[in-house]
Amino acid sequence: MANGRTRAVSRRAGGGFSRALIVTGAAILAVVALAALAAPLISGWGPEEIDANATLAGPGGAHPLGTDTNGMDIWSRLLYAARLDLGVAVAAVALAVVAGTALGLLAGYLGGWVDDVLMRIVDIFQAFPTFILALAVAALLGNGTVNLVITIAAVNAPAYARLVRAEVRSIRELPFVDASITSGASTLGVLWRHVLPNSLTPVRVIAPLNCGWAMLTLAGLSFLGLGVTVPGAEWGAMISLGSPDVVAGRWWTSVPPGLALLVCVLGFSLLGEGLQERADRRRTS
Amino acid sequence: MRLLRFVARRLLQVVPVLLGVVVLTFVLVRVLPGDPIRTILGPNATEADAAAARARFGLDKPMWQQFLDYLKGLVTGDFGTSIQSGAPVGSELALRVGPTLELVVLAVGLALVVAVVLGVWSARRADRFGDHSVRILALVGNSMPEFWLGLVLILVGYSALGWFPAPSGRVDPDTDLTPLTGADLVDAILTANGPAFTSALSHLALPVATLAIVVVAPLLRSVRASALEVLRSEAYLAATTHGLRPRTLLRGYLLRPALVRLPALAALVFGTAIGSTVLIEYVYSWQGFGQWALRGLLYRDYPVVQASVLLIALGYVLVFLIADVVHAVLDPRVRI
Amino acid sequence: MSDLLSIEDLSVLIRRPGRDVAALSGVDLRVDAGEVVGLVGESGGGKSMVARAIVALLPGGAETGGAVRFEGADVLAMDEAALATHRGHGAALCFQNPRGALSPTRTVGRQLTDRLTTHQKLDREAARQLFEAVGIRNPARRLDAYPHELSGGMAQRVMISLATGCAPGLLVADEPTTGLDVTLTREILRQFRHAADTDGRGVLLISHDLASIASVCDRVAVLYAGTVVESGPAAKVLREPAHPYTRALLASVPDVSGRPARAIGGAMPLLSSPPAACPFAPRCAHATGECTASRPALAGDGWQYACFHPRSGPAAAAPPPAAEKRPATGRVVMEIDDAHVVYGSRFGSGGHHALRGVSLQVRAGETVGVVGESGCGKSTLARLMLGLAAPSSGTVRLAGTDPHAQRGRKLRRLRTKARLVFQDPVGSLSPRRTVADAIGEPLRALGVPAAERAERVAEVLARMHLDPTMLRRRPHELSGGQAQRVGIARALVGDPDLIVFDEPTSALDVTVQAQILDVIAELAGDASRGSVFISHDLATVRGFCDRVVVLYLGRIVEQGPVEEVFGNPRHPYTRALLSSAPSLDGGTAGGPQRAEPRVELAKDLDEADAATGCPLAARCPFVTDECRAQAQPLVAYGASEAACWRVPQIPALIREGAQTRA
Ligand SMILES: Nc1ncnc2c1ncn2[C@@H]1O[C@H](COP(=O)(O)OP(=O)(O)OP(=O)(O)O)[C@@H](O)[C@H]1O
Ligand code: SF4
Ligand code: SF4
Ligand SMILES: [Mg+2]
Repeated sequence: MANGRTRAVSRRAGGGFSRALIVTGAAILAVVALAALAAPLISGWGPEEIDANATLAGPGGAHPLGTDTNGMDIWSRLLYAARLDLGVAVAAVALAVVAGTALGLLAGYLGGWVDDVLMRIVDIFQAFPTFILALAVAALLGNGTVNLVITIAAVNAPAYARLVRAEVRSIRELPFVDASITSGASTLGVLWRHVLPNSLTPVRVIAPLNCGWAMLTLAGLSFLGLGVTVPGAEWGAMISLGSPDVVAGRWWTSVPPGLALLVCVLGFSLLGEGLQERADRRRTS
Repeated sequence: MRLLRFVARRLLQVVPVLLGVVVLTFVLVRVLPGDPIRTILGPNATEADAAAARARFGLDKPMWQQFLDYLKGLVTGDFGTSIQSGAPVGSELALRVGPTLELVVLAVGLALVVAVVLGVWSARRADRFGDHSVRILALVGNSMPEFWLGLVLILVGYSALGWFPAPSGRVDPDTDLTPLTGADLVDAILTANGPAFTSALSHLALPVATLAIVVVAPLLRSVRASALEVLRSEAYLAATTHGLRPRTLLRGYLLRPALVRLPALAALVFGTAIGSTVLIEYVYSWQGFGQWALRGLLYRDYPVVQASVLLIALGYVLVFLIADVVHAVLDPRVRI
Repeated sequence: MSDLLSIEDLSVLIRRPGRDVAALSGVDLRVDAGEVVGLVGESGGGKSMVARAIVALLPGGAETGGAVRFEGADVLAMDEAALATHRGHGAALCFQNPRGALSPTRTVGRQLTDRLTTHQKLDREAARQLFEAVGIRNPARRLDAYPHELSGGMAQRVMISLATGCAPGLLVADEPTTGLDVTLTREILRQFRHAADTDGRGVLLISHDLASIASVCDRVAVLYAGTVVESGPAAKVLREPAHPYTRALLASVPDVSGRPARAIGGAMPLLSSPPAACPFAPRCAHATGECTASRPALAGDGWQYACFHPRSGPAAAAPPPAAEKRPATGRVVMEIDDAHVVYGSRFGSGGHHALRGVSLQVRAGETVGVVGESGCGKSTLARLMLGLAAPSSGTVRLAGTDPHAQRGRKLRRLRTKARLVFQDPVGSLSPRRTVADAIGEPLRALGVPAAERAERVAEVLARMHLDPTMLRRRPHELSGGQAQRVGIARALVGDPDLIVFDEPTSALDVTVQAQILDVIAELAGDASRGSVFISHDLATVRGFCDRVVVLYLGRIVEQGPVEEVFGNPRHPYTRALLSSAPSLDGGTAGGPQRAEPRVELAKDLDEADAATGCPLAARCPFVTDECRAQAQPLVAYGASEAACWRVPQIPALIREGAQTRA
């Protein structure tokens, strides 16, 4: 260029950032998942194994992160807890997505009374903040891993139902659906082949974020004694057990499990944010 | 006028939802396992003691009869008597709502201000270092378990540095604050009690900060995305190419269109914050609504559970209504 | 005297990771005060980039070369302070989509006063006058309106007032009339002519549509792949262009006078570096070795062109002798009888009455054209024929059967007998399905086995001149023209009785439009099926329809054989449509060469209120009290029918009007 001046409104295209977010998030999750799988190999102690000689021992020696009031090894419990936390969160979100999508699809495409009834039920669910709902359901259902999965799935499914329904209702008006109807496709065919695949776009973005949230919910429930209870290895329960030590300045019983939770949820958040950004970019360009 | 009609219509729509909530909680709490009477009687109570207690709380009547009694009470503003404490639920509730509302409103308000300022700032530097840092920080905040963050702040702010009061109580009892609304800051202002005000403020600082940090991310993301959309819109481009001054651009062409989507999200975040306060109150021993409701739930204290569930639903619905009204005021395209 | 705007050897290279775009390569362009210059070319030619360069607002990663001199100063070298006064006060932009370019949450009055106070220290009263000047009725009330409350035409006027409110020396309008109806287009363009004539501003009018802006331009420049290929006086460039691309561009546009479009193959290249040869060479019929070896320079004085082998003589061929249009005698494939369609409003009461008693027959072997302004019910008619909309009264029979009396499999089979080709070619293809899937869908419904399906899909694909490798692509990997070919292939594959084309080319580029029209014309000749061609563009309809139906506010106001309706229009509305249709051949739009004086409607469509009696009463120049009172049925006049009782008197009325005006 003759004078080669650059007058840029924004510096860069910025597509690299969303990729960095996605890669970092996925990497974090992969590491956590690996650590969870390899727990027996790298932990040193069993998740509920008690070292009677060392209660509330500080980090170092046989217990790299110290022990709790019961004399259980923090590091080992941290690793085993990852199995439970990740597993419950992913299973719950998967269940919520399947159930919510099915309901949303029906309500959105059929409309009429089906839509009315389903949406009123969703309204009732959504008249509560989700964590409160989870609290109530967990308190009523009682604990146990399966119950926790059901609880978390149940409070999330309505949001997916609403999301998918809204998506379906707008997709239903798009020309390609008309094109398919006039091609003689059956209702089920239109739903399955054209509406469903396209209405899942926002779900794909939200689901990872939701996994992070599900983890926090599980931990929160356990923290209040409504989820996994000690001696079960779960990060929220570990924090709960360690919380009285904080005022005395003993950090190792509660800070590490919180950090583990933070890192893992952050993995999901980064992944979700990256996906969201990528979707936005697609939509606007 | 149109606004009033809209509000009235929305309130009417709310009625069936609330009715559903009332019926559902009433039935579920009784059908699902757990017995409130056993928890107050202690281990050596006999069957006869239990039956007597049941009769005292009207739990021996058939369910439909109980429900009618409950409804009758509701209509007259009577929420029943707590099985645990034996006190009227209504007056317990009145004591508990103020402190929690104070905490949530302050935190969400703070988060909103931070989100708007940083969101717009971030959008104007989209895809540069400052923007990336702000977004990542917000995500980190959003990924923290609030109860853990509370503990860490206590560890740092109280145990290590000693800057903030111990996590017990909401105001120094020596300040002789006369409770009026239950919200200590408000009470301190109303009674012109200076020391109580500072004390309440220092007690509030950590819990409010905790809550604000964990809820700011979605607000920030939304403001940033909207502002970015506006900045890249033809409308903004047109205003820029017509040489308008930066201040006019910011006030007239950026802020308002960027904020139209915020109220709905703020309402949602308000709900999240209410959920989080249950945990935060627990950590900071904050004698608020969340603690009270949680205890009711754990002990199957039917009247307490029913009242708190109804109150949360009502509050949440009202917050959404307010959000809709604000949205309509901000966005001329909304027809109400 | 120095020019107002003088662009000298301007190059814009956009650097993006993995892909550079040479958006402009060595563009020269000049605009003087008081002059209207047209900048034309197809999408991606760089027109908008020129507009952005004039206000120094280029996309990220843009590298520029050359200069954009405004009153002697180089805009690209200005500092922020100088730019702030240049933007708006020096050059002001009008945007293509006025509703998108108005801030949605601020009243238009405040947006205008923002401009006025910034650049001229004027106030609301001045704003009111400006609104009045651009033809906004009730200006004082409109000042308090928000953009979403305005119609498209009104919004474009507001946009013009915003731009002129900056008191610019140069007004730049990027596609100011795209998407507006013909009647409005003329009116808006007149505003720009007015700005040049009375206020002495320079005007740069950007458009992809030569014909529409031809009438108001003094000079025209043609862009192709980021280079100026020809520029000069409008009369020269439009009548006897020298550059083969200009000639191809002109020939691609059908004309209301009856001259059909002539297509050239290929599409504009996307260049990643400034071209070293003539960028048009791959599509040019006159290309020689010289053309591919070096790039011709823009040469000439006053009238310039960049071509080694310039052409001469008038561009447009004379209209061919009108093909013998025999009345169709085939079986009736579609029959609509007195159909009404009402779209329920979201909130129960009210509802929009989109069709009000339409009767229509389509026979096998004939092509029926449907024309009318936007919102008159054209697409509803299409949906009605396809069974996508149900008549609230009246009947629809497809191949002798009422689709609304059918259910399940029978209905699905019946549906494949009528097919629709959509306006938005990419949007009508399911984003996650392949082309093969899309085309094969009707066959799947008919229960055709997979092997035969593949065979027939390949067959129609070849008929659309598409490569078999297309079959595995997804919609976003197709260009607009390719997507529309796929759409047509999908319509064709099941051997339907009726194909409805709903504005099939309006989303496409000019030269691609001509290619698609070619394809459609070929199909329309088929005796085994009927076709309906819907368009707001009269010229395309005239090109290959046998019969035309003119719709106005949900009613048929005139119908008849195409030559009759176009050559001898009867209804005042048809006359108005025809006289505002842009034309290159019959002189500039509605110019003196046109035999009849113009008929102009009084208001914009969206301002006309629904009334009893004749639907046109609010806008008709010949309206009487009787028109307002009496509903107007279709009455035969000669070979066509019109819904107006004054038809016999109108020629005399027009002559009178012309005399009193003279
Ligand atoms: N922001 C951008 N980033 C990268 N390339 C761009 C950008 N904007 C335009 N281009 C490219 O620059 C070239 C010229 O684009 P421009 O928008 O000026 O064309 P145009 O003639 O105005 O087309 P249209 O008729 O579609 O408005 C095209 O190849 C286009 O793809
Ligand atoms: S220079 Fe050659 S290839 Fe280019 S337009 Fe002229 S004749 Fe065609
Ligand atoms: S009936 Fe009257 S108003 Fe209607 S078109 Fe004819 S002259 Fe005009
Ligand atoms: Mg353009």
